[in-house]
Amino acid sequence: MKKISLLCLMLLLSFTLMACSAEESGTDDKGGEAAVGGELQVAYNAQPPTLDPLLTTAVATRDVMRHVYETLVTVNQKFEVKPMLAKSYEVSEDGKIITFELRDGIKFHNGEEMLPEDVVASMNRWKESTTLGKSYFADAVFSSSGEKTVVLEMKQPLSTALAMLADPGQAAIITPKEINEAATEQGITEYIGTGPYKFVEWKTDQYVHLEKFSDYQSLDSESSGLAGKKEGFVDDIYFQFVTDASTRLSGIQTGEYDIANAIPFDNAEQLEANEDVVNHIDHNGFNGLVFNKKAGFFADVIARQAVNAALDEEEILMASFTNENFYELEHGLMIKDQVEWYSEAGKDQYNQNDPEKAKQLLEEAGYNGEEIVILASRDYEDHYNAAVVVQQQLEKIGMKTKLDVYDWATVLQRRADEKAYDIFVTGFPTEPIPAKYVFLDSANQWPGWTNSPEMDQLLDQINTASSQEEAQEYFAQLQEEFYNYLPMIKFGNKTTITSTRSNIEGMGFLQGVTLWNVQKK
Amino acid sequence: MKGYILKRLLSLIPVLFVVAVVVFLIIHITPGDPASVMLGPEASPREVAELREELGLNLPLYQQFTSWLAGVVQGDFGWSIFMNEPVLQSFFSHLGPTLSLAIFAQLLAVVLAIPFGVIAAKRRGTIIDQTFMGGSLIGISVPSFLLGLLLILLFAVQLRWLPVAGYKPLDAGFFLHIRYLILPAIALGAMQAALIARMTRSSMLDILNANYIKTARSKGLKEKIIIYKHALRNAFIPILTVIGQTFGTLVAGAAVVETVFNIPGIGQLIVNSVERRDFAVIQGTILLVAISYVLINLVVDLLYGVIDPRVRLNRK
Repeated sequence: MKKISLLCLMLLLSFTLMACSAEESGTDDKGGEAAVGGELQVAYNAQPPTLDPLLTTAVATRDVMRHVYETLVTVNQKFEVKPMLAKSYEVSEDGKIITFELRDGIKFHNGEEMLPEDVVASMNRWKESTTLGKSYFADAVFSSSGEKTVVLEMKQPLSTALAMLADPGQAAIITPKEINEAATEQGITEYIGTGPYKFVEWKTDQYVHLEKFSDYQSLDSESSGLAGKKEGFVDDIYFQFVTDASTRLSGIQTGEYDIANAIPFDNAEQLEANEDVVNHIDHNGFNGLVFNKKAGFFADVIARQAVNAALDEEEILMASFTNENFYELEHGLMIKDQVEWYSEAGKDQYNQNDPEKAKQLLEEAGYNGEEIVILASRDYEDHYNAAVVVQQQLEKIGMKTKLDVYDWATVLQRRADEKAYDIFVTGFPTEPIPAKYVFLDSANQWPGWTNSPEMDQLLDQINTASSQEEAQEYFAQLQEEFYNYLPMIKFGNKTTITSTRSNIEGMGFLQGVTLWNVQKK
Repeated sequence: MKGYILKRLLSLIPVLFVVAVVVFLIIHITPGDPASVMLGPEASPREVAELREELGLNLPLYQQFTSWLAGVVQGDFGWSIFMNEPVLQSFFSHLGPTLSLAIFAQLLAVVLAIPFGVIAAKRRGTIIDQTFMGGSLIGISVPSFLLGLLLILLFAVQLRWLPVAGYKPLDAGFFLHIRYLILPAIALGAMQAALIARMTRSSMLDILNANYIKTARSKGLKEKIIIYKHALRNAFIPILTVIGQTFGTLVAGAAVVETVFNIPGIGQLIVNSVERRDFAVIQGTILLVAISYVLINLVVDLLYGVIDPRVRLNRK
């Protein structure tokens, strides 16, 4: 008996020891319960691969770090360019020079004042590391002039230059000069910006902790999108990375989280029944199928038109989003809010649902029963559900299809292999300018391999247009050509559901949530 | 004794080598690469190709393997692309939650299972026995993620007794720490409890029919002493084996439970790393888990000697 109790004691002792070591390698206190002290617990559905927005197009990085960083110019809810760190800007007559007047007394989170040198260093890193920077600003020069001025000089006029500098994805963030200089291929290691919240800590796979920046200099103009007034009300924001949807769902129901994003469409009703929870439905880009235009059957434009004629978009969207409140039948690449761009062109080609015409086109394209491989990932249930319906609809017009389902990382790799597929299903965010849609420009060599001199030329004409009206005119032609060439087929606009507790007020949404101006009542 | 331990440790080397080769091959044969995950879905192929080159992913496979293995032998398990830190550091920073969870789950399992097993054996054939053993069958059959979700639904969403998910480290307070671990520990420990209870029962049944138990009974010893001093102790070796083995499988089960309960442990580290194809982390972590699995088995073997002097004598 004595030995047994000795054994028990030993076991207990070793457990205690192990627990102690667990303590050492564990995590820091998250600051107690969510209800105390004005802190916001946000259940976010994806992990950021890095916190340097210039390195990745991943939305998790963009959504978290937009609270920390700011840009010279930004976009409002209608994707119009508005000044942020620039007090004003001026475009020269020939469109080649843009002069930015910086705002006074802007402080970085480390207490230093923002100087033109910081802006120049930041813009140089942006132009060297981002897709937009490399494609459009490679031979542009940023320079400081005087105390408060930064000048951008370009070899050619670029009408969309400001919109590119305002783009929320891979945003042209302004950080101190020395941080830009210390940046390596792995990006920056210190996250210092000018935004209303400062970065405190990133526990990989757990959370990013942001804290209110007390020296933040807010604009007074009306708050809209990423522009205008930004006020930090809550002291702390925790982006908790909760990849499991059912956990986000239960957590928002019990109040464990104040905000939960990417709520599955199936569960929206369940939350609506709960009076402590409010669902916010926001426009969130679109889904579509992208053709492999380099190899296989869909290298032929007639074949792509056959598929476009066959599809019943309503059925596809319903399968993806379960409820007509969560999608919108819409042909346009630019949304209606983007009044400076929106166009009716190509509308007659959208959502034809005409199997007879499809069969004819199929015959014309010389379809001889080869197997069509559709690539999709179940990591995004809406992609997968759409792919299943597309498959059925193609079978209906007599095509032989195969659905290849992989995890997202595998899809990303396989879609880059021209021999691996004919169609892949994916989603796109709302972009501020047409050029950002990667499937339009042949030069991108983006999976699917668009190769259309007509569209390339129209993109060039948009970029060099002398006025927005002219650019919009070219865009209408581009959209017409898009529906003719069909690099991809847009299913329709989609939404995303973000749920908040009913005591949360002031949350905004532009591509992702904005949490400045949020009050916890 | 020392020689024995040394021999056991040496025999680890071929096992771990095989694990290393298999893990490396599986990961590199699976499609998907970290560069395209890191750069995001709209990155251009040129950028992906550049990053692949930088990360050394374009080197021939054997070259990647030998340079990784050479590092491992020197205690360098590689560098995490996503966390931008050594793999060992990632491993240890995720170890705490898993260890806490596994220990707590195992404690729950042992504390519940052994008395149940003993009682079931004592009342063999009665309704109590059948209820316990029926319950243990359910425990074995219900997958942990389902049990986890059901527990969340009942105790967190409906009754609101316990948090839905998440993790509080021990230095946030012992009770807070435990509060967050109760549901995951039950979800994870249920199967262990069931296995241990069944093993305890059958092992006890064998012993209770032994002659020395009959002798003890006939000389009028108290039933309690018979059961716990004479019977249970002798029945304990197979039970200990099960405990040791199940402790190892707890780590595997943790991958599922940690995802459901959003606990930042080793399981979640592996799942996340697979999703983002952080090769070095997957390889390193699985190798380290394999090492701990083998070491736990070694400790269990050594514990036999503590419980049963006959095992010790044999080894001399």
